[in-house]
Amino acid sequence: MSRNQPIGVPSHQSIAYHLSSQQYNKTMKILVPIKRVIDYAIKIRVDPTKGPHAVQQANVKMSMNPFCEIAVEEAIRLKEAKKSKDDEVVAVSIGPKQCSETIRTALAMGADRGIHIETKGDVRGDYIDLQPWGIANLLKGVVEKEDKVDLVLLGKQSIDSDCGQTGPLLAGLLNAPQATFAAKVTREDDGSFVVDRETDAGTETIKLKPSNAPAVITCDLRLNTPRYPTMPNIMKAKKKPVQVISLEDMVKELGLNLDDVLKPRNQVVEVYEPPPRKEGEMVESVDVLIGKLKGKGLVG
Amino acid sequence: MTTTAISALPAGLARSIKRGEMITKCTRSNLRRNTSSECIFAAPGRSWHGSPCWPRSSSRRAAKQRLTRSFSNAAPASLRSPNEDDLTHFRSILAPHQIVTTLGNSSNSRNDLDPYNRDWTNRYQGHSSLVLRPQSTQQVSSILAYCHERRIPLVPRGGNTGLCGGSTPLSNEVVLSLEYMNVIHSLDASSGILSAQAGCILHDLHEYASQRGYLFPLEIGSKGTCQIGGNVSTNAGGQYYYRWGGLHGNVVGMEVVLPDGRVLRLNMAEGRSDVHGGMDSAASVGGCHRKDNTGYDLKHLFIGAEGTLGVITEVAVACPPLPTSKHAVMIVCESYSTVLEVLVAAKEELGEILSAMELMDWQTLTLVRGSLGDSSVSGEALLLDEMLDTKNDSTTASSPPLSQSTATTPQSPLYILVETQGSNSEHDASKMDSFLTRLYDSLTIRNGFLATDSKRIHTLWNIREACNPAVSRSGYVYKYDVSVPIEEYMDVAAEVKETLSSQGSSFFPETAVCVWGHLADGNAHINVVTPGIFTKDESLASHVDESVYGSVLRRRGSISAEHGIGQSKSEILGKIKDRSVLDVMVQLKQLFDPHGIMNPGKVLTSDMVSNMKS
Repeated sequence: MSRNQPIGVPSHQSIAYHLSSQQYNKTMKILVPIKRVIDYAIKIRVDPTKGPHAVQQANVKMSMNPFCEIAVEEAIRLKEAKKSKDDEVVAVSIGPKQCSETIRTALAMGADRGIHIETKGDVRGDYIDLQPWGIANLLKGVVEKEDKVDLVLLGKQSIDSDCGQTGPLLAGLLNAPQATFAAKVTREDDGSFVVDRETDAGTETIKLKPSNAPAVITCDLRLNTPRYPTMPNIMKAKKKPVQVISLEDMVKELGLNLDDVLKPRNQVVEVYEPPPRKEGEMVESVDVLIGKLKGKGLVG
Repeated sequence: MTTTAISALPAGLARSIKRGEMITKCTRSNLRRNTSSECIFAAPGRSWHGSPCWPRSSSRRAAKQRLTRSFSNAAPASLRSPNEDDLTHFRSILAPHQIVTTLGNSSNSRNDLDPYNRDWTNRYQGHSSLVLRPQSTQQVSSILAYCHERRIPLVPRGGNTGLCGGSTPLSNEVVLSLEYMNVIHSLDASSGILSAQAGCILHDLHEYASQRGYLFPLEIGSKGTCQIGGNVSTNAGGQYYYRWGGLHGNVVGMEVVLPDGRVLRLNMAEGRSDVHGGMDSAASVGGCHRKDNTGYDLKHLFIGAEGTLGVITEVAVACPPLPTSKHAVMIVCESYSTVLEVLVAAKEELGEILSAMELMDWQTLTLVRGSLGDSSVSGEALLLDEMLDTKNDSTTASSPPLSQSTATTPQSPLYILVETQGSNSEHDASKMDSFLTRLYDSLTIRNGFLATDSKRIHTLWNIREACNPAVSRSGYVYKYDVSVPIEEYMDVAAEVKETLSSQGSSFFPETAVCVWGHLADGNAHINVVTPGIFTKDESLASHVDESVYGSVLRRRGSISAEHGIGQSKSEILGKIKDRSVLDVMVQLKQLFDPHGIMNPGKVLTSDMVSNMKS
């Protein structure tokens, strides 16, 4: 496993490096896509009569996807480490109007401004209507519109659909260098990002060199512990701008096709609850226990 | 004298001893006589592992006179400890796993009984040799009827998370553990009434209710262990008392077994009673109503009776719909006057969604932080570092965490956990926003930490709920749970600190006074702890007792806001209650429990009960 070599990135990225090293700009702009999902601690209620729409979202506590929160935290830390006030962290969320709360949370943590691509209330983002392909296309449009984005930091997956596709798809669409499952991110003076990746074999360190496209990094759990919005930051956040644009307008502006964005690439066939755990059984003695285990063929 | 020796004594000896004689022996401190050792009234106080003893009369001579009188007045036959004959009887009605005992040729050891003989704070020690774990109301009824007839005292026991020693035997009582009575019957989808057996663990009720769209309206730190029967018996308060009210409001029905074995079903559905055989958990809640105004509402007598009147075997609790929106914020205040302003602002700005307001002082959180270890591994530790400002503020960070000088510094910040619960997160977020804006614009608060997702909200609550265990782990704790006017919330602790510092180093110099509690209820938990020292100092105890109770009574407060009386405060109860109120309490006790077998010495001392009889 070679160090300093982006994994899964086409070899022409190294050519891009030569092109961009002269154009490298001093200010840094980080885009952080954030998703509003059912709160991680809520017991999911499944209505089996609803087919693919079985997961009940009405009257359920929603929060920022925990991996997205880690991405927001990391973006703010990168900005704080660089100590340049021209740097910018932009939080982007695609979803219903309540996503404004999610964006407000990111701003209160320390993001500088927000972009809210507002969908109609019945558009579901949990792998039903808006799927990673559509999201990645929209994010690509935002990156291009924003201009000079250095880094897109995403959660490695959202806890509602657990796809883990948006980051890699976006990197592909942007032809950008990417690192997934980041456990550590540092920025070097030349604008490259050094990332420790969590892999089954251990930690892998790779370097994403500056290119015409932003670096795309997806964040894993170990990367950081997100901060609490503090009083002064909550108050500052109220003055930070949030641009709200409807999905329809955004699609038009980006020259995309709405049906294409919303058309599921994968079809959800069925959603069902895991079978309930069977009730345990109390046994009188160790001998009875061993007897039972032997009866089930679990011990020799 | 060892406990094994006691249980080996001939049972007849103890049985023949009359009640009056025994109490007199105890008050004479004649505690090492074998003849009295098996009898319950010979609880030998501190001579047995330093456990508190009753009766501890302030005037022994007076007590002796009273007791002699009660003896001559033909008091009910004496209580006695269980013996092997009793065990044989219990074996005939209970399965082997329902009995834990060191009586006879049992396979159990003393260790098996330890959990039933010691409270979790290690402040109370009992000496029971027999634990019964009934599985049905019928079994409870026959155990009680048997013990009633034979004058065998019982201690009902739930999750053993109480703080006043109410579920710990004083001596060799039978422990009646409800742990196997843990069936949740039903939750009525229309009324929200949940009915369950008394041994259900509170956390399981929360889970059960929330899966059905309801909230179980009692929340306390020990919910993973405590049982609803114990909660109701001790009238537990908890964090959501302000929002959802207490158990006197939420418990709508109850099944209770009286000492003589009678089963009362008080506003409970018919046909589910397992007195007549199997448990029918599918039964409807018909027969259990939110409102039932038919005569004396007896269930209220058992709420907070701490098992002295009977044994609660089932409860029906009205649950509100599960709130779907939760927000919480930890506010750091410079002084208590700011805390009061935050309280007003919270009530005004958050209104009906305000669910909890918990106060913690700097001293407490310093101990909590100390119990957490490395900050890189826990969100709680990380946040506490910020809250305690250990990095930036050298004035607080550099002081030794437990020195009294720091504890009394007026500049020590106070922390309030404010939580909202509602049904619409936009609405709640907007209210929270106006609340925080008002604090920021008009008050001198030091900082605030907002939590909108469950993970952060849990972290805030974990810090709050770590107060009790963290302080208990750090040393011996002299625990107080008081109600005082909200304006004077911190004043009792301040007086205690003053008393301690005026005593100088005659006590442990490191003694720390920790305060936390339910601010909106005016309920302060005052905990005086001697870090690193885990044994009780009697002289310190009496100084702190005097200081706390004196201060509380001067403010016309309550010496027990929510923990109850148990064995720790029964003495003081007799001193502070009006004579006429005490008399009625004793009369009630005698009406329900004429032989005094139910949790003797708890709430009312045996002195109080036997004096009335004369």
